Amino acid sequence: MSFIVIEAVSKTYQAAAGEAAVTVLEEVSAELEASEFVCLMGPSGSGKSTLLTIVGAMNRPTTGTVSVDGIDVYALADERRADFRREYLGFVFQQHHLLPYLNALENALLPLAVSSRPTTQKRERALSVLERVGLADKAKRLPNQLSGGEQGRLAIARALVNEPPLLLADEPTGALDSKTGREVMEVFLTLNAQGQAIFMVTHNAENAALADRVIHLQDGHIVYGASV
Amino acid sequence: MRISSIAFANLKRRKGKALFLIVGIAIGIGTAIALVTLSASITEEIGTQLDRFGANIVVVPQANSLSLDYGGVSVSSVSFDVQQLRDEDAKNVRDIPYKERLSIISPKLLGAVKIADQEVLLAGVDFKSELLLKSWWQITGEEPQGERDVLVGYEAARALSLIESTGEMATQKPMNHAQMDSTSPSLEAEPFKIIQPRLLIAGSEHRVAGVLAPTGAPDDRMVFAPLTQVQAMLKKPGELSVIEVSALCKDCPVADIVAQIAERLPQARVSAIQQSVRARTATVERLTRFATVVAALVLVIAALMIFTSMTASILERTKEIGVLRAIGFRKSHIIKSLLIEVGVISVIGGLLGWAAGMLASVIALPYFAETQIAIPIRAELLVGALGAGLLVGILSSLYPIISAARRDPAESVRAI
Repeated sequence: MSFIVIEAVSKTYQAAAGEAAVTVLEEVSAELEASEFVCLMGPSGSGKSTLLTIVGAMNRPTTGTVSVDGIDVYALADERRADFRREYLGFVFQQHHLLPYLNALENALLPLAVSSRPTTQKRERALSVLERVGLADKAKRLPNQLSGGEQGRLAIARALVNEPPLLLADEPTGALDSKTGREVMEVFLTLNAQGQAIFMVTHNAENAALADRVIHLQDGHIVYGASV
Repeated sequence: MRISSIAFANLKRRKGKALFLIVGIAIGIGTAIALVTLSASITEEIGTQLDRFGANIVVVPQANSLSLDYGGVSVSSVSFDVQQLRDEDAKNVRDIPYKERLSIISPKLLGAVKIADQEVLLAGVDFKSELLLKSWWQITGEEPQGERDVLVGYEAARALSLIESTGEMATQKPMNHAQMDSTSPSLEAEPFKIIQPRLLIAGSEHRVAGVLAPTGAPDDRMVFAPLTQVQAMLKKPGELSVIEVSALCKDCPVADIVAQIAERLPQARVSAIQQSVRARTATVERLTRFATVVAALVLVIAALMIFTSMTASILERTKEIGVLRAIGFRKSHIIKSLLIEVGVISVIGGLLGWAAGMLASVIALPYFAETQIAIPIRAELLVGALGAGLLVGILSSLYPIISAARRDPAESVRAI
């Protein structure tokens, strides 16, 4: 059985009164293997981000199921699903969404804030991921004291601190220039080479070409790349 | 890094907003504290003043017959089945467990005498305690000093031709024997002067030390002389007709004092003057109710302000809350983090409010109270201020906090 199984997932957003409901995904099925680097491509409005948040256990599909490592994600109760996100998933957002009032180390530590691990252990873990993304010497800096590429790497460090089996990224290079975008992609490739599964939404064909597989989505349907 | 670290970091980052909320809570709590403290102090003052306002307990013999009357106490030349009060009984009153609450004990012997063909009620009193008890008395002349000095009520003095009108309206105010307050029951009367300073009572001559301004009470028709003199003149050595007691009954039930005196003096009838007690209780209750309502209104306004401010602040943080939910924070973690922020703000606001309220009370009290009352630092008020601050802060921000935490992460993520 594949590490991630997306089975006949549809998503319809209920519109405001007087407007028609919008179906963003329709009967989408796909599989991802552990350690695989998969990019999700498609034009704007094709449902890429919606599929990513559904896989990310944040957006309940209207129909269909998603299972990760054999766990039916949406069969979990709400608070358990939060625990699942913390234990299984790491998120990297397009705008990074670092907390501006926390320094790099504290931002990296954020997912561990609710963990009962000893403080020193949490700190060691955060420093280790900062080192992994090349930011160990900038641990005390606030996000606004970091360059765009460094902020991207810090967002990756935060996503990795819990050692999740799956990294989800929503256009992580979308807001970066090509040089810093490449810098961030190199970090993803290194992580993947170390066995990290990555599911990334991108518009950038150059970045998609670096992935193991590309799933192409159009008008809520997978055009190609649904399985290995 | 703990959830509390996020809350404290957020407070540090949003100092201005936190300060605004702290000031809001401090104003609410401060106003409530000031009102409570002021009303408590004014209540104490009113209580003390009313307690001083004459006797509130009267001790009379168990049986008597009707003839002449003194403030509800019957005085008769013919009595039956009477167990007389004696000087020792006045001393016994001083030995009750609540003796600390007794401010004045004024024993009296009353009797009807004929002076210059006029029947007059003669009262033997201990002038020292009587003048304290009747703080509203205004005396033209002087306070009695010697054994043969008497005070004469206004109407009795007129009937006995002891005084004559000076014809000038209040050009010279009568002497105020004690520190009078504006609530004195004295009546306005045309000014007079003493023209006959000698008075023959039961064959012995007395000096008219002073004449009382009209009081509207039976005192106007009485002659007051030293107790021992009257006991000798009426041939009732050691006997008393009535013992008037002024008890400082703030926070103590008059009924208990009455019961204790009755236990000491089983031969006597002891009764509280309910009217003064009820009046005092009603005044105090009205004042307390007013302060409570105003304090509650101020706190409600503060709560609404916090509600509005917290709702705006949380809306502003939708993205941040979305990120936290996306990386695995439970709803309860979000609620905990936001409640810590509100808790810290509320405690600081409560503490500052308490300090501001106490300071405001100290500054404002002289404008509301006539006498100098010290405002004590009360630990329970500090605890109350902190508790009220927390309650107002948490209750008013609970709805926006819970709404934010319950928001579907997908909604927040869409906002990202």
